[in-house]
Amino acid sequence: MPKISRRAEWSWLQASLPVAIVMAIGLIAIAIEPLAAQGYTPREYGDFPVIGSRAAIWIAAQLHLFFAAFVLGVPMFAVVAEAIGIFSSDDRYDKLAKEFTRLLLVSYSATAIWGAILVFGLITLYPGLWGYLSEIFAPSMWVYVGIFFFESFTLYLYYYGWDRWKKGRAKWGHWGLGILLNLWGTAVMLIANSWLTYMMSPPAEVTPDTAPGMVQFWSAFANATWMPINIHRLIANVVFGGAIVGAYAAYRFLSAKTDEERAHYDWMGYIGNFIAISALIVLPFAGYWLGREIYEFNQQMGTTMMGGFMSWLWVVQAFLIAVLFLAGNYYLWVGMGRIPGAERFMPYTKWMLLVLLIGAAVWATPRNMIADRAEITAMGGQFHPFLGVLGVMSAKNTAVNFMILTTFLSFLLYRRANKKAVVSWEKTGTTIQGALFAVSAAVVLFYGIYGYFVPSIVRIGFSVYQVLAVIAAIILVVVIDVFMMRGAESRGEIRWGEMPERSQYALFILAVTFTWLMGLMGFARSGIRQHWHVFEVIRDTSVDAATPALGYASIVISACVLIFLSLVTFIFWVGGLAEKPVISGTAVGATASASADGD
Amino acid sequence: MTNIKVLGVMIGTLAVYTWIANAIPQIESAVPEEVSFSADVSPAELVAAGAELYSGGGGCTTCHGLETRAPNLLTDYNGEGTIGQRCGTRVSGQDCKTYLHESMMDPAGYVLEGFEPMVFQARVLSGAQIWSLVAFLQDQGGVVTVSGSDVATAAEADAAAPAGGPMVASNDPLEIMRGNLCLGCHMLDGEGAELGPAFDGMGSRIATDRIRTGIIDPAVEIAEGFDHLAGSMPPNLGDMLTARQLEVLVDFLAGQGG
Repeated sequence: MPKISRRAEWSWLQASLPVAIVMAIGLIAIAIEPLAAQGYTPREYGDFPVIGSRAAIWIAAQLHLFFAAFVLGVPMFAVVAEAIGIFSSDDRYDKLAKEFTRLLLVSYSATAIWGAILVFGLITLYPGLWGYLSEIFAPSMWVYVGIFFFESFTLYLYYYGWDRWKKGRAKWGHWGLGILLNLWGTAVMLIANSWLTYMMSPPAEVTPDTAPGMVQFWSAFANATWMPINIHRLIANVVFGGAIVGAYAAYRFLSAKTDEERAHYDWMGYIGNFIAISALIVLPFAGYWLGREIYEFNQQMGTTMMGGFMSWLWVVQAFLIAVLFLAGNYYLWVGMGRIPGAERFMPYTKWMLLVLLIGAAVWATPRNMIADRAEITAMGGQFHPFLGVLGVMSAKNTAVNFMILTTFLSFLLYRRANKKAVVSWEKTGTTIQGALFAVSAAVVLFYGIYGYFVPSIVRIGFSVYQVLAVIAAIILVVVIDVFMMRGAESRGEIRWGEMPERSQYALFILAVTFTWLMGLMGFARSGIRQHWHVFEVIRDTSVDAATPALGYASIVISACVLIFLSLVTFIFWVGGLAEKPVISGTAVGATASASADGD
Repeated sequence: MTNIKVLGVMIGTLAVYTWIANAIPQIESAVPEEVSFSADVSPAELVAAGAELYSGGGGCTTCHGLETRAPNLLTDYNGEGTIGQRCGTRVSGQDCKTYLHESMMDPAGYVLEGFEPMVFQARVLSGAQIWSLVAFLQDQGGVVTVSGSDVATAAEADAAAPAGGPMVASNDPLEIMRGNLCLGCHMLDGEGAELGPAFDGMGSRIATDRIRTGIIDPAVEIAEGFDHLAGSMPPNLGDMLTARQLEVLVDFLAGQGG
């Protein structure tokens, strides 16, 4: 009889935990059903000691979401890193992908545990709402459990089969498992999103008098905000996963004992930051779409979100995004210190910083604030005489597009720092790239100013032109750069590991800020339902029916972030006890061209 | 030492964000409370209830607090004073009380030049709540004339009206349209407003099923060129019509040729 090692025992115990949790929830749900069949009427609300039912459910849902976002985001870039390893035969990427997946494995149980806490919380604290939702969505709940089962075992095969299926066709099969893992994960997310978006935007034919059994399943499932939320969350998960991986690498970098380890985690931190900021750049466009769908579903809900009691929330959001842009760019600029040849670009960074600071200040300028008579008198009118001009969307859209262009420029300079193009058209290519930047900035500025002279309905359309100009410039500049830097000479190797410690703290700030921002946006999405469990269908009649102000929300969000980061730290530490990551020696002294491949 | 530094950065960042969120004005979204008054309610009680509703659960400040979507009612507008001062001069022949009440019951019919129609639906509030709002707005620079008898009459009307039932009892298409405020946004034979697609010629432009869907579920498809008004049409029209009224309306509109 084969002897099972303690490590193997731990791994399988760890592996079977999420599945066991989901099965347990299923059994409890089955046990509850006969009670309903006997005519038992559950109470509407339960009580939770000290913090109350609302805060308890809020924390459970938020922590489940944090872990779920991480375990859905990481597989996306793990599978991409593995593919880069396969196509480039660069073993570093394969090892990086495996390390990503190792983080995933240890976070998976926590996701399931918080999911179970959330479901038990709903059953015990909000039994009426739970009964209503489960009557509409029962089929999808069973499908969810089934897919979760497959997802779990795909993940175990993907991770534990890594070293067994590492060559030839078997490697392709292994990569296929990674893709399958992403498909399962996305399907699970789509199902869960339908439940929460139904609460926001139930179909128009559903009224307070509509029995849940009469609600058409597909109509409820594919409701008005379902797809925009799906897309927004897919992108946000990548941002979030990248940021957490970056923070993990930063911690490992700071506590590294050898140069080899330091070099590896410096490189991993760079990749995490690159993933997070790249995805962040496209996230606002998904946000615009979601906002538009909310307005189209119910204009009053839209105005509550943007101009009602939540109007100050967007000022805080602007501040957080400004921190993200500043920290992300700062990390890149400090990182250029370890790239030979980057010194020629360093004088530009102060101007880029200036653009980012001005952009952040404009973006965070409030305009549409609810003001009482005393405040209006103090300002000398409804709007501040100077700042009011900067608070309109024309100025804000212009500011954010300039910040995106500046961040892209940082990445471009970083990428080109130690390269010397050898193509004959290098000068022309660079001139065209510069012109593309200039034209894009001019288009953004033109529509930004022109927006002050047209009605609001026309002005809204201008943001599309501004975004298209920026996206087009980014795509064209990248295409030119890829061709221009083919076979480029190296000005020297990137000195991975020779990174000042202060840069790593920027990665921590990025991770904390992304996590806090997710919590804030979750509050916004959920809070616009106001005193409704299901908007204008199921009214919240509990003692917590009022939607709290931002101050209280921020305390709950901070508590969630603190719990999440503490658990993540513990889980990664525990995971590290069971299995140490394999550090690739090739990270040290990686060539310039190899580093650029990660860009 | 590294652990302490990392912990310090994380806690410090969280503390800054929490402090900022607590330093800004704190606005809670209150639940609109059911207002129940007897016939001898005093103007002061009505004003107090209206003030709470205006700033809280009534959601009024969502548009009226900004001045970009609707005039600010608490401050001067175009040199005409606050709403309590200007309400009596808005429409000739209508006193302040009537004007305020009517403009809440039929907001589409009282849109000021330069503003778009509001999404406010009086049906979400009780008659007593509407009158308390009127009293509060009158109190903004004017004299409160809302009385207990206004409230009592509204309460009787609320009690008599079946919840979620039809707005009108008639099966005449024009009366259905007028009773459900359709002509507040749509034009028919010179009557109504040119905000949404005109009813004139609708049958020649749109299939019958599409007309029916447009009434029951207006968000399904927004008429071309009217994207900016998406969400303005009440989503609960299907609950405010009887089955016969719906079919009468659909047949009537489908019959509107070019």
